[in-house]
Amino acid sequence: MRINTLEDLKYIRETGLKKLKPKQKVRISVGMATCGISVGGDAVFEELKEKLKNREDIILTKTGCIGFCHVEPLVNVYIPGKGILIYHHVQPKDVEKIINNLDKAEQLDNVVCQIDKWDHITSDEIIYGEGFTNIPCWNELKFFKPQRKLVMRNSGIINPEDIDEYIAVGGYSALFKALKEMTPDEIIYEVKGSGLRGRGGAGFPTGIKWELAKKEKSDIKYLICNADEGDPGAYMNRNEMESDPHSVIEGMIIGGYAIGAQKGIIYIRAEYPLALYRLQKAIDGARHYGLLGKNILGSGFDFDITISKGAGAFVCGEETALIASIEGDIGRPRPRPPFPAQKGLWGKPTNINNVETWTNIPLIVKKGGDWFRGFGNEKSPGTKVFSLVGKVENVGLAEVELGTPIKTVVYNIGGGASSGKKVKAVQTGGPSGGCIPTKFFDLPIDYENLASVGSIMGSGGMVAMDENTCMVDTAKFFLDFTVDESCGKCVPCREGLKHMLFILENITKGNGKEEDIGTLEELSETVKTTSLCGLGQTAPNPVITTLKYFKDEYIEHINNKRCPALVCTALIEFEIDQKKCTGCSVCAKRCPTKAIEGILGKGETFKIDQNKCIKCGTCLEVCKFDAVIKTSKGVSNG
Amino acid sequence: MDNEYIHVFINGQKFKAKEGELVIDIARRNGIFIPTLCYEESLKPYGACRMCIVEIKNKGVKKKITTSCTLQAFDGLYVKTDSNEVLKHRRILLELYLAQAPNPEKIKELAQRYGVKKTRFKEKYKEKDPLNNSCILCGLCVRVCNEIMGAGVIGFIGRGEKTRINTPFFEKSDLCLGCKACAEVCPTGAIKFIDEGNFRIANSWSNTSVELKKCKMCGKYFAPSKLDEKIDSIYYYRDKNNELRDLCPDCRRKVITKRINLITENEVEKYAK
Amino acid sequence: MNKEQIEDIIRKYDNHEGRILGILEDIQEIYKYLPKESLEFVSEKLDIPLSKLYSIATFYSFFNLKPVGEHIITVCMGTACHVRGAKDILNNLMELLKIDVNETTEDGKFFLTTEDKHFSLNTARCFGCCSMAPVIRVDDKIYGYVTIKELPKILKTYGWKSK
Repeated sequence: MRINTLEDLKYIRETGLKKLKPKQKVRISVGMATCGISVGGDAVFEELKEKLKNREDIILTKTGCIGFCHVEPLVNVYIPGKGILIYHHVQPKDVEKIINNLDKAEQLDNVVCQIDKWDHITSDEIIYGEGFTNIPCWNELKFFKPQRKLVMRNSGIINPEDIDEYIAVGGYSALFKALKEMTPDEIIYEVKGSGLRGRGGAGFPTGIKWELAKKEKSDIKYLICNADEGDPGAYMNRNEMESDPHSVIEGMIIGGYAIGAQKGIIYIRAEYPLALYRLQKAIDGARHYGLLGKNILGSGFDFDITISKGAGAFVCGEETALIASIEGDIGRPRPRPPFPAQKGLWGKPTNINNVETWTNIPLIVKKGGDWFRGFGNEKSPGTKVFSLVGKVENVGLAEVELGTPIKTVVYNIGGGASSGKKVKAVQTGGPSGGCIPTKFFDLPIDYENLASVGSIMGSGGMVAMDENTCMVDTAKFFLDFTVDESCGKCVPCREGLKHMLFILENITKGNGKEEDIGTLEELSETVKTTSLCGLGQTAPNPVITTLKYFKDEYIEHINNKRCPALVCTALIEFEIDQKKCTGCSVCAKRCPTKAIEGILGKGETFKIDQNKCIKCGTCLEVCKFDAVIKTSKGVSNG
Repeated sequence: MDNEYIHVFINGQKFKAKEGELVIDIARRNGIFIPTLCYEESLKPYGACRMCIVEIKNKGVKKKITTSCTLQAFDGLYVKTDSNEVLKHRRILLELYLAQAPNPEKIKELAQRYGVKKTRFKEKYKEKDPLNNSCILCGLCVRVCNEIMGAGVIGFIGRGEKTRINTPFFEKSDLCLGCKACAEVCPTGAIKFIDEGNFRIANSWSNTSVELKKCKMCGKYFAPSKLDEKIDSIYYYRDKNNELRDLCPDCRRKVITKRINLITENEVEKYAK
Repeated sequence: MNKEQIEDIIRKYDNHEGRILGILEDIQEIYKYLPKESLEFVSEKLDIPLSKLYSIATFYSFFNLKPVGEHIITVCMGTACHVRGAKDILNNLMELLKIDVNETTEDGKFFLTTEDKHFSLNTARCFGCCSMAPVIRVDDKIYGYVTIKELPKILKTYGWKSK
């Protein structure tokens, strides 16, 4: 059927609510975003499917990821009248227990929290039930408490593969409002007023970008969703597409109407097959209801979306390279001007926004720019989803209001370091960002503040590093990345970064020279200033910030040939603590180069031949008695 | 509008220009030297070599370094082609070039001009490099082969610091016209062709070879047949029966001279009567 | 090479944004790599110089120009995986599979295949499974929280034998 009127929309809404909150039936939904699947969510789903074959009283569905990746696989169990229970670390063997104990579901030991009510924002608050009195509500958990879910308003609750459920929680009501009640200028006015800034990294005001694109006169205009999430350590866009794909589609249709574009393209990286599948399914669903295609909602506005797949090139996240890639060229950035807003795809005016920017649009249209300004701070309104990973206890997706201090994210949400060691820095903004030391952890997170300490907001990666992380190695890691991902067009980025990497490799091998630091600083400056595109202009940031805040580590490597974090292989040695060694010989068996010898059962005889050792760390990992120790010129983990 | 000029300031001097004109063109027209290794008027601006950086110094605008081959002029634009900062970066770029391709005259000349005596960076030397360790990946050859000649013989291979230029699969190409435009535009003289018997061989391009035409008078091989055909396909009105087409430039000149002399002799005879 | 199959793919992408990458990706889905003849065929059909297709195939890390092993193991080298020891996982896999580190393809990509063509090993920049770091992928299956200890176990399910 086609949706044309408010009544049509309401009808679908009711259908969706029956699926989301069935009156008589239990609904079990398995968290099946890529993260959930990779730790066994799919096996749990299959097991449930098998066991529920003859159970008419239970509906089984998939849902996305609520962000609490640390305790996945997650299973939501909705019991009419009582609410939703979330089970953590569910394995196929737990399935039987769950479905056979629905009457005392809250007593099972792997309940992590409950959802009594949920603010989907584009609809009125939905009450799922308030019957579980002894279980903590989701937002009472330390992980969720500081969070504010605007972007992730539906993630991990609705079935992302069912458009009806999206409509049930108020989906497409913003589109309805936009097309039926607002002019394009009014929409742009609200978006400008909201202060929303590009969530892809640079933070350019979205409303102003739209205004520029709208002003261009052209028979055809394009609109692109940049889903080429390439920053290593960042995966919020993947989740937004996998868990709530319609919010992206709805944002794009509204954007198309506002700037006068007829065609939208989602450029998605090839590494995200599930996101691609769900987006395609969402597009098909929207077309089916007449929300994409000709004469949308009977308004006379035509708009359609296609998906264009990337093929593994980080640089294609850069707007002009992305356009080149869609046109079927190698992804080499093109000089600007002309800017994409003037001459973009196929030479036509083109507006590009990041996935997360698009998901914010329905909210702003539905609730108004002023409402949106109520979140975040003056210069950076709204929220941002961060992928909090690395060496923190609670890894996952954390959506916080901009202006939240870094420490809240790392310690309250993240729960501090997982290793028992101290957190030493967080890295934000991926290869374009920098390492922020703990002394700045009081800093409220926003675009300007992160820039002021030499990092960037980027797309939202936040990687925690502890005392076991070597900062020289970290800088080397990012340069290795950018050297490999540089398109090779301009000299400073192609050649300059390569030489910076050479120097860092030398330092980590113990061949560093005192003048290396100065040379690195000079090269960084030139690469930053003279590179053609954003990749080169920001690639030195990890080096610049580690040099600035962790210079002592560089000096340790250069002068004392020592790696204090025991990471740089050339500067460390593995040894066997013969007091702890039991002589079990597991290490000797697993050593790939046969560098370990000793007499079985005699711990004191086991030794590592340093000439044969390739420092792969296998012995350390396989030893059950902590008898293998790492050392570096007097520093050791023993 | 076309007749209306704007004014830009380069190194303090005021110049007339058209709005949107590239600063590098304005500078060249007025005899101001800006170094470049990848710019060519007949091709689209590319912005790869970064040597033509200049400093924009307009009041109220943050000081900015940008390439003059992509910088479009506007009224009152104020640029410096050799500010201290520009020179500082240009020198480091030259150090990078010296590490990548130490031998080409053009690189040595620029290094000398900007007082760069040696490079601090590790020189890259590739064994059996078809481009003699002289390629700086400015892309001029690829662009001229594709954009101007429409031949598409060569392209970039790989990416990042591993980028190379050659024929697909490093195999002989049957698309090459033998026009040598690539070698002609190459700023570092990296591309080698040799004429051997009735073949022109592109040593740099996987030994791609094209057949040469034989002069009907002296028997010398002189121009690639395919190039001739290509020109025919573009200039369809060219007289296919003109016998001069089959002569080498030397013989062509001889024939034409002879014809002119003949005409002159006839004229003399006519007036003598 | 099946010409009709490739013609079908080309037809599917008629006047489509992202056409060329899409066509090459679909061809690779069939053969697991891009056979030279397929590129020549596409070049002829679309009237695009082969040099351009070769540029694309060597520029994007997703494409392979050589036949690959039966099972493809990809080690994620993203930031989260890096700080949680992805490099050790990779080194260990190379040891287990007896793959020579110094081998590279002519386009400079890291893509190594065992002598018996049973496994290919490469790296990826980030799967977006950072919360499960370190992560590896074997064919289409992603393994989270991988440890050196359990690598032989994973490999064995794909027919690996310890030598």
